[in-house]
Amino acid sequence: MASPPLPPARDSYRQPMPWKFHRVVQALNALGTLWIVLLMVLINTDVLGRNLFDAPVRGVTELVSLSIVGIVFLQLADTLHSGRITRADVVLQGLEQRRPRLAALLHAAFHLVGAVLMATILWAAWDPLWESIRMREYVGAIGDFTAPAWPVRLVMLVGLAATLATFLLLVWADLRRFAALGRGGLA
Amino acid sequence: MSPILVACISLVAMLALIWFGMHVAVVLAVVSFAGVWLIKGDPGIAANLLAQASSDAIASHIFGVVPLFVLTGFLVAHADIGKDAFEVANQLLRRLRGGLGIATVASNAVFAAITGVSIASAAVFTRVAVPEMLRFGYHPKFAVGVVAGSSVLGMLIPPSLLMILYGFLANQSVGDLFTAGIVPGLVLVLAYSLGIVVMSFVWPRSVYAGGALQPVDAMELMPVGLLLRKLVPSVLMIVLVLGGLYAGYFTATEAGAVGAALALVIALLRGKINPRTLWSVLTETGHVTVSVSFLIICATIYTRMLAMSGMPQFLVESMTHAGLGATAFLMLYVLIVIALGMVVDSSSILLIVLPLMLPLAEQFGMNLIWFGVVTVVAVEIGLLTPPFGLSVYVIKSTLQDQSVSLGDIFRGTAPFTLMMLAVLLLLIFFPSISLVLLK
Repeated sequence: MASPPLPPARDSYRQPMPWKFHRVVQALNALGTLWIVLLMVLINTDVLGRNLFDAPVRGVTELVSLSIVGIVFLQLADTLHSGRITRADVVLQGLEQRRPRLAALLHAAFHLVGAVLMATILWAAWDPLWESIRMREYVGAIGDFTAPAWPVRLVMLVGLAATLATFLLLVWADLRRFAALGRGGLA
Repeated sequence: MSPILVACISLVAMLALIWFGMHVAVVLAVVSFAGVWLIKGDPGIAANLLAQASSDAIASHIFGVVPLFVLTGFLVAHADIGKDAFEVANQLLRRLRGGLGIATVASNAVFAAITGVSIASAAVFTRVAVPEMLRFGYHPKFAVGVVAGSSVLGMLIPPSLLMILYGFLANQSVGDLFTAGIVPGLVLVLAYSLGIVVMSFVWPRSVYAGGALQPVDAMELMPVGLLLRKLVPSVLMIVLVLGGLYAGYFTATEAGAVGAALALVIALLRGKINPRTLWSVLTETGHVTVSVSFLIICATIYTRMLAMSGMPQFLVESMTHAGLGATAFLMLYVLIVIALGMVVDSSSILLIVLPLMLPLAEQFGMNLIWFGVVTVVAVEIGLLTPPFGLSVYVIKSTLQDQSVSLGDIFRGTAPFTLMMLAVLLLLIFFPSISLVLLK
């Protein structure tokens, strides 16, 4: 059952993407990473301040709940590009070894579905963003702590768009592998 | 088409697509999208549900815990805290038959009380405990089996990410769930330790490569002072994180942040981490966080679709019609969870199964805290069973030893999977084991 050393391209993950798009994705990911560190520092400041100096930091609860959304959407595209979005690979791994062309086609189909999903969410989340800006939507309680909600909604849209593009570029890479395997690369 | 039929078709389509390898979260979202569209006859409603789920599903203080727990797990792994716990347990238990195996179980329990994720422990103990066991003549299959078997303690002994996820889905107190996991965790530790001792007496060939115990006098002993010093970081982390949580100084999310900061300080003080490894740890943390959170987002619309279809009520009615009792339901449920565990990872299972099953459990008047403990143990059994057994894959990739195949690891794990099943039955038939510490 031991898996042999992997040939270089059995799937399209972790490969450079056209127009250096992987740099964009990695930059968004790095922002998300820094945000995790900030989150840790912020919460610790509040815990220490509250329990030792009786000086809590206002609005940490609200900021944490906004942050987690921001972090996830900033890092979604890179997680996808690293092949780390959860999936069951029992069948796919078998196909990649025995029927690499079919596996490439299946990968392409799945990534295309992912792209359609991202496009749908993007389309449906567009109006709420403008609505949020127009009505000055906020989180928190007036007089204590308030933060506008639109920046996180904007981050979400940026992340969704980057993930949509990544899905499409993965489809493209899958199809190119499919074509290459057909030209006699079918080892 | 009736809503029930739509829900049934969606469930079948969902399982098929997941089996063929579509991303689990995408499957949940797309199939539920189609389901809502069919039930309501309007794609706009379905799309709005998706957009709403994306911005609201995880926008909660409690989900801040996900990156923080994962980060703590990775940092603790880097800081050699697991290694220290193992060395101490190893020295204390060296005279026992199968002592190294029991030491692995015991130090895993300590590690589990520090971290809330089990992926870290499988990797750490493969690196620390397996070479040591091989050096003292243990069978390679046994060595990896112990590591895989005890890695599941991470999700049972608090803090635990799975318990938090369950608490969110079932609307139960995370603190109570944590408390409920303590005794079952210790029971599992006891079962493993007894099992190892019994195996080494009755069936020594399964434990020792040569079929006989090797003298342990060759082991270098640490002075007592060093022994105690090695325990300081573990004790400090457990007291501060779990202690602070139970004493009410902070919430689970804050416990995660404090734990992560503390683990970072320990790793820095020991010189075990530099800017580059820290960055890769943080990136890895982000990826795990995203894959869990994206699942939660997509499972929200799935839950809504199920609620719209009236599927849970339909299941309740048909169960009572068929005259199925609570025990039969529970057995069926455990079988489904274990079967799913052979294909997908633990958080996916919770998110797929609970929206359907929780109404049933409630209908049967089950204690949902106890139901949570049973669920987590059943899910974790899936981590050990072929073909997907996540822990086993982690061990395989950490081991870098071609002579130990995946099949060997699964076979070595089998005795521990059986012990876990026995403990699961115990938990099912004696709910008080889980509930004894509550109230």
